[in-house]
Amino acid sequence: MAELSRPGAARRPLSGEEATGEPVATPSRRLDIVGRRNVFFALSLLIIVPGIYSMLTRGFLLGIDFQGGTELFLKFSQPANQAQVEAVVASENVNGTVQKGANGTYIVRTRALDPAQQKKIVDDLDSKVAPVDRNQIQANQVGPSVAREIVTSALLAVLAAAILILLYLAFRFRRVRGGWRAGFQFGGSALLALLHDVFLLTGIFSILGKVLNLRIGEIDSLFLTAALTVVGFSVHDTIVVFDRIRENLVLSDRLGASRLTFEQVVNLSILQTAARSIITSFTVVLVLAALLLFGGQTLQGFVLALLIGILSGTYSSIFNASQLLVVWRKLQPVR
Amino acid sequence: MHYLLSWPVRLLVVGLLILSIAVDGAGYIQRVLNHQPLTGQVSGMPPQLFGNQVYIHRGLDLQGGTDLLLQITDVPPGRDMSQVQRDTIDVISKRINKLGVSEPVINPVGRDRIEVQLAGVSAAKAQATIGNTARLVTTKWVADANVKGGPFPGNRPQITALTSEMLTGADASLDAQNGNQWVINVTYNSQGAAIFSQLSTEAFNATCPNGATDCPQHSITNWLNLTADDVAHWDQRAADLYRPFDQGGKLLVDARILQPITGGQSQITGNFTADSAKNLAILLNSGALPGNLQVIQSTEVGATLGADSIKRSLAAGVLGLLIVIVFMIFFYRLPGLVASVALLFYAGLTLAVFKMIPVTLTLAGLAGFILSVGMAVDANVLIFERFKEEVRSGVSVGAAVETAVGRAWPAIRDSNTATLITTGLLYLAGNGPVKGFAITLFLGVLVSMFSSIIVTHNLMALVVENHNAERSFLMGVTLPLRRGRA
Repeated sequence: MAELSRPGAARRPLSGEEATGEPVATPSRRLDIVGRRNVFFALSLLIIVPGIYSMLTRGFLLGIDFQGGTELFLKFSQPANQAQVEAVVASENVNGTVQKGANGTYIVRTRALDPAQQKKIVDDLDSKVAPVDRNQIQANQVGPSVAREIVTSALLAVLAAAILILLYLAFRFRRVRGGWRAGFQFGGSALLALLHDVFLLTGIFSILGKVLNLRIGEIDSLFLTAALTVVGFSVHDTIVVFDRIRENLVLSDRLGASRLTFEQVVNLSILQTAARSIITSFTVVLVLAALLLFGGQTLQGFVLALLIGILSGTYSSIFNASQLLVVWRKLQPVR
Repeated sequence: MHYLLSWPVRLLVVGLLILSIAVDGAGYIQRVLNHQPLTGQVSGMPPQLFGNQVYIHRGLDLQGGTDLLLQITDVPPGRDMSQVQRDTIDVISKRINKLGVSEPVINPVGRDRIEVQLAGVSAAKAQATIGNTARLVTTKWVADANVKGGPFPGNRPQITALTSEMLTGADASLDAQNGNQWVINVTYNSQGAAIFSQLSTEAFNATCPNGATDCPQHSITNWLNLTADDVAHWDQRAADLYRPFDQGGKLLVDARILQPITGGQSQITGNFTADSAKNLAILLNSGALPGNLQVIQSTEVGATLGADSIKRSLAAGVLGLLIVIVFMIFFYRLPGLVASVALLFYAGLTLAVFKMIPVTLTLAGLAGFILSVGMAVDANVLIFERFKEEVRSGVSVGAAVETAVGRAWPAIRDSNTATLITTGLLYLAGNGPVKGFAITLFLGVLVSMFSSIIVTHNLMALVVENHNAERSFLMGVTLPLRRGRA
């Protein structure tokens, strides 16, 4: 790589602050993020454990994509009375529920109905309650078997992606001291941090949907999309930190006897990349805010899931991933 | 990394920029060249480029329409499932053609499913057109004194053993031998030929009651979906059923047999026009649906709802991009401006790629695209943070650009590869919204890597070549020399 021949490398051993002429900073004189790892682990567990408990005992509030059923978004062109809408839906014998949305919209959820049956409900509402704006209808119907398949295929995709990412990282980090074993430690830690983000996100949604009974905590295919984005982002974030550790390990080794301990290298790398992590996440949060502002009601859960995931991903890449790597190294030392 | 600054690379960037502008603005460019107004409907749209129409393909959730997932059930045992699926798709296509929908999508899914996407059609209408079951039913006529009404009092149809699976094809052609009239040639397989031979012989030889020269017994009739129940209640239902299929009845053709037909090849003649002959051929073919169809998933979006979603997502995309540009310029100053230019290049090129492939944009797809903007920014942030570090450590501004790009590259490469792996697998395994999301994010990440490592890099190099390193305010970094320490 370019760094081996770069002039000025000798003048600038490690940190970004070396131009001030100070000796190589020791972790004790700086912010010690690695040393206080147990505090950060505890903080994560504080959120994750209740989430997992809620997932195990209460499960999720499932959207129709995952449960099977029909969902009709209707807009009446004249004001409609919710009790009337409910009465008509109840008379159809379709296990229907009615929810009032913003701007005179209603959401009717029933068991899976084919389009002809859906049309009957809309026609009945049209004639018995108030005229329905046919250009504003949105209707989704998902059979229970399809719902299962969507979940299974997505989970399989994530599992396959996790394995491939682990192999890819092991391959990319195999040149670090310790070879492939070290490579798998890097890859494994990145995956653990990923699990952290996924469990935190799904846990919070389980609590939102089942403990607090909020519709925003509904698990549907948009939530799945959000969770998958978080998977990508979390690994992305973690790799940037790990890449810096890899680079600093090489530089540190050149110092010979005065080289830093692994823990010190990790701490330094986190500090050097923290600004980038925070700036990038901040930019994404800005973009998400724009989505939240214009995306409308149907996208609110999606944006919330992304916000939680991105924040968790940033937190775990700074406060968890590398610390897990340090712990792993202590348990399974490499020479 | 220095070779990335060579002139062929820069030429490539300029070429891609011109291509992006040409593709993105193709509609407007054509309007200007043809002296057409810039807004409203004009002829010749969408524009052609390299033989393909270029425009943004909108998913059904953005333009309104229906998406149905159909399950093929009740397939007769022993039939090749993939053949059944292909046949069913043929039949559905023919039925949908009647609707005149632009660009209907009919795709096989798995072994026994079919996805149908129809723009601007309600779910109920789509289902009615495709039909749950549509079987070609062939009947002969038998005397039944109980039948008082209908087209032929005293007669009712009787369903024969000839089924739709035995019909191998029906096509309309101009018959030169019979005075250039339109005819429909119908072909049966060997089993069907045997049955049809017997039926036609019986019909030809039938004696009409009361010495009449003509009676229904001389005819063989094709129907769509005629059921045993219909026949049992023929007296009440005849008037409704004995009407052409496209006028709400179940009748396809009631043909008088002129001679016994033994070879499995028959010809239907009548006062057909080119259109009516082709339509009948389509309907005869479309009756040959090998199994039943069940709607297992349907999504319907109203037309104005879709248009509303486009406006919202466009607004979100533009606002998001603007916020990011303002933030980048505020935070990184001159490099931030450079990154913003690169970001616009990125957005333009990605849009052009979407138009050319073409990628069908859905709501989830737009979310993926907007998120890929975030990833594109990240690559720039990685480079600039490194650039600041290098400059602070005393490296000259010019050398710092090179080192920053070189050192940020492994992080950009590895982190984006991880995203490419995830989105690639999701595209392969996912369905519906997940697929749309995966494809835009995948392409967005690919373009963003190019944009950061080549476009940002080259622009930074150009800026630095003509830049006085002392003006550190513009570079957003305090040089060590200026701290008054040295």
